[in-house]
Amino acid sequence: MTTDTLKSAAPAREGLSLRVLMQNSGIGLALLALIIFFSVTTEHFLTPNNITNILTQITINLVLAVGMTFVILIGGIDLSVGSVMAFAAVVAGKAITMPGFGDAEAIALAIFAATMTGVLCGLFNGIASAFWSLPSFIITLGMLNIARGGALQISGAQTIYSFPFAFEEFGSAMVYGVPVVFLVALLFVLIAWFILNFTVFGRLLYGIGNNEEAVRLAGHPVFWYKVAAFTICGLTAGVAAVVYMARLNISSPIAGIGFELNAIAAVIIGGTSLSGGRGSVIGTLLGAIIIGVLANGLILYGLSDFMRQMITGVVIIVAVILDYYRARFASK
Amino acid sequence: MTSSPLPAAPSMAAHPEQAFLQADGVKKHFGGVKALDGVSFSLKQGEVHALVGENGAGKSTLIKILSGVFPYDAGTIQFDGAPYCPASPHDAKASGVQVVHQEFNLLDHLSIAENISIEKMPKTRFGLLDRKEMNARARKALDAIGLTDVDVRSPVNSLGIAHRQLVEIARALQSDSRILILDEPTATLTERETRRLFEIVAAIKARGVTVVFVSHHLDEVFAICDRVTVFRNGQSIVTENISETSPEGVVRRMVGRELETSDPAEEERSALGAMALSLDNLQTRQNPKDKGVSLDLHYGEIVGIAGLVGAGRTELLRAIFGIDPARSGTLLRDGQPVHFSGPRDAIASGIGFVTEDRKDEGLILDMPIAANASLASMKAVSRSGILNFAAERELARTGGERLKLKYGRLADAVSSLSGGNQQKVVLAKWLARNPKVLLLDEPTRGVDVGAKAEIYAILKALAREGVALLVVSSEMPELMTLADRILVLAEHEIQGELARPDFSEENILKLAYGQNQTAGEQ
Repeated sequence: MTTDTLKSAAPAREGLSLRVLMQNSGIGLALLALIIFFSVTTEHFLTPNNITNILTQITINLVLAVGMTFVILIGGIDLSVGSVMAFAAVVAGKAITMPGFGDAEAIALAIFAATMTGVLCGLFNGIASAFWSLPSFIITLGMLNIARGGALQISGAQTIYSFPFAFEEFGSAMVYGVPVVFLVALLFVLIAWFILNFTVFGRLLYGIGNNEEAVRLAGHPVFWYKVAAFTICGLTAGVAAVVYMARLNISSPIAGIGFELNAIAAVIIGGTSLSGGRGSVIGTLLGAIIIGVLANGLILYGLSDFMRQMITGVVIIVAVILDYYRARFASK
Repeated sequence: MTSSPLPAAPSMAAHPEQAFLQADGVKKHFGGVKALDGVSFSLKQGEVHALVGENGAGKSTLIKILSGVFPYDAGTIQFDGAPYCPASPHDAKASGVQVVHQEFNLLDHLSIAENISIEKMPKTRFGLLDRKEMNARARKALDAIGLTDVDVRSPVNSLGIAHRQLVEIARALQSDSRILILDEPTATLTERETRRLFEIVAAIKARGVTVVFVSHHLDEVFAICDRVTVFRNGQSIVTENISETSPEGVVRRMVGRELETSDPAEEERSALGAMALSLDNLQTRQNPKDKGVSLDLHYGEIVGIAGLVGAGRTELLRAIFGIDPARSGTLLRDGQPVHFSGPRDAIASGIGFVTEDRKDEGLILDMPIAANASLASMKAVSRSGILNFAAERELARTGGERLKLKYGRLADAVSSLSGGNQQKVVLAKWLARNPKVLLLDEPTRGVDVGAKAEIYAILKALAREGVALLVVSSEMPELMTLADRILVLAEHEIQGELARPDFSEENILKLAYGQNQTAGEQ
């Protein structure tokens, strides 16, 4: 009675794929509706310049949100990514402005410094919350302050600037009107998608988010998987710092305030469940685009920045309410 | 120490007016499950009345009905001549029915006094908390049960378990209790504490309060109770005067007349293989005593572990599997001493563990059948960390075929399956690893009769193939069907071993209730 139905179970993700598709199609439709709405009702929305604009603006949030997806999938949260990004940017800013290096060496050193700073902060978040089974909310709240304080201390609360010209060039480079930094972010989405869908590690992250105990009893080192998820999130904060520096050509210790909330919003709007175990990084991509499109479109509409913020807030709440119904529907 | 029982109780039928609380034909269904299927019993003022029966016989359901947790579906309950149908626990308390639950309901961080007054805090004229009055009330309540040496202002979490139990009793008694229900009050108490409790019960009884005493320990029942009502399969079987019955008689009533014995000639078992697993004085962390468990398990053998809830059965399996590593003692695997610091080590040495609670520990409910079946075999369905979905489907498909799993698609979430099929997925998960030793905790809980028989057949086939199986179950017929021998566990100790010809529910229960032990010690 079963063999004939087996063929239809072809999609690689074994059902998660189908559900993820259904979830994402809802978000995709919402995004499409938004785009059509703004295209029709505003003059400048669907112009190459504006699209480039949107892509540039969402890049940092997208990079942060990719890492955040890993953490939220295992039922955690990382409130520190905005501060860690600033911390990493300041450390990298110090590195890149060190005298005695050629441009290429300085840039390489800066990228290494930023990503390592992010990785170490993430590693700490992961170990502290997994080892003592503490809520990651609290641990990363602590890290939020540690990293922000660290950034201010190291920089002496001064903005660091005058980076090599090549770095600035990278930040503003375009390929057919698409910012290169956005393509970097997209590459991270792709890698994350592959990890979450096609590797044992990704599968078990979903498993941990759903039922940690079952995964542990099946003999898997749950502790290290959780640490890895937080470390990936830290890594993306470091990468976001590089993008930030390349785009703005400065390292400010007060950069990225509130970025963690935007990243979480992108993940949640993208259909990933805050309680873990359910969601996808493709959803996160769409979530980040929705936030960017909404912000851009509302500005074109002539709404104030304050109104825009209010509307983004409403969208987040609507997204989690929809998620509530989706979860109820799925459990039936 | 038994307080003098009431004058020999005349039969209830002859003097119904003496009944203080009278239940007739009480029924309660949960969905399709009959929790109570006609319970009749009565309580007299100032008696200590025991409720006994196997796990799931209906005692707890009855207590919950009496204490207003949920209503009953059919039947009548008369309390003091009026129909009794409490709509809420608050209602029940207002009528003077108090329960001291098995699991504690105290607020750990609050003081004893606050806990005792939690239901009705005394207030001053200004509507503020009247601490003085509250402490005075608590003092009175504790004095009433002889806890004169405890400061009512100290927080509950500074107390030992026994004292917490007594505080619960004090709380229950401070209002005008007419019926006090004690649900397994001695489960966590030492012998000395138990004696103290019994003295308190005797004193309560002398005040004219009726005490309902639920216990798995028949010696306690016979020590302090006046009458006993036996439950079986949701029905009240009989109420007897303690003075007119014996522990053996009560056990026989609990099991029922149609004693289910397995057919010894049913099938010849294959010869035993080498020693697969050997426990020497293994002490679980939860075991309060100095003596651990020793047992041998051979390849090709099914050993059953019987015992009441709380006997330490699940804890034993968890210790073997390395989830909660044992406190002391040795574990031999194929004759070699091993130390498992986690499930990973146990799995690596060829052990599988079908856990008791498939929703919490066995399955990832929202994930596909295939993903669940492969959960413990990730290496087999991946190469350098990358999943091979075809291999995974194949693994799940062959596992499903072997276990006669009924499903729509392998991509469906496990939560879409029936209980029996969910359990088969848990089995499939472990069988995919070809375990040499399989630990099973309640392997057919919540599984329908048909799937049960299929699971039994699978387990027996595994044993024939040479797998060593250790099965914990609360269902005695299940153990008698499956096992080559049954070890009975009580209070973290093996009370005895039954060979196949000696299998009977009566023998198991005798050991589980420690009847044999006392006989043996004398």
